[in-house]
Amino acid sequence: MSLPRLGFIGLAVVAALATWLLLAGPARVFGIEAGNAGMVLLMAVGWGSLHAISRIPDGGIGESMSPGEWRAWLGLAFTLVIAAYAIVHAPVFHGPPLWHNPDANRIGRNIVMLLVAWMLLARVLDARWRRGVRQDERDREIEARGAGAARLALVVILVGYALLLSFSPTERLEWAVPPLLGHLLVLALIVSCAFEYLVVGLGYWRDRR
Amino acid sequence: MGNGTPVTNAIRRLRFERGEMTQQALADACGVTRQTVIALEAGRYAPSLELAFRIAHALEVRIEEVFQWAGES
Repeated sequence: MSLPRLGFIGLAVVAALATWLLLAGPARVFGIEAGNAGMVLLMAVGWGSLHAISRIPDGGIGESMSPGEWRAWLGLAFTLVIAAYAIVHAPVFHGPPLWHNPDANRIGRNIVMLLVAWMLLARVLDARWRRGVRQDERDREIEARGAGAARLALVVILVGYALLLSFSPTERLEWAVPPLLGHLLVLALIVSCAFEYLVVGLGYWRDRR
Repeated sequence: MGNGTPVTNAIRRLRFERGEMTQQALADACGVTRQTVIALEAGRYAPSLELAFRIAHALEVRIEEVFQWAGES
């Protein structure tokens, strides 16, 4: 088994561990808060994956996949994990404002840090891409379609929220406290990002099918 | 842009006639990714007018020798 293959298997194992820590793991691991540990591991996996992909020699699996397609599929996986984390921990936002709710404060901080970390990692490693041209007119067309789809997804979700809040009887909206509504708005952004990555990934996939 | 465009091309043949120019060399000469050259040769992507001219220039032929309209006239 080649070293790169072992490396990718290692990354997959660490990614699985990070996802478990974030979504279903114990509260603390070796005295460290499990969510923080999962977040750090996931960031390490994201960086390791992008770094490994940028080093794949021509002739390998990287031959048929554009930098943009790699970024799209990795971004989709990353944002889906963040979305799952946000959904699983949504109940903690049903309470007082964040400065009086340490659990919600911690979850919210982890979500924002994961999103910022992903954006930074993608940009830094995109700039380090080894093989000449990173983006051309075809990539921009595919990304424009993805951005359009993400905008549409965001509009649909926000209209859904508006209809839900406008037409539901007041007694059925007891769950809709401000911190949870804020969390749902952030979740809408995460889902629209995931949708954008999905549409971009499918665009590339269709081009080389 | 979907699978198959009404614009066909002779990029692959012309590359080989130009001393077996590689896809990467053509991509570098035109400022695109190698995957875009692959998509062009497979007929899955119709280039912009600018890219079409760049490709013809890199292959040292006129644009109509590279691209042909295969759709309904």
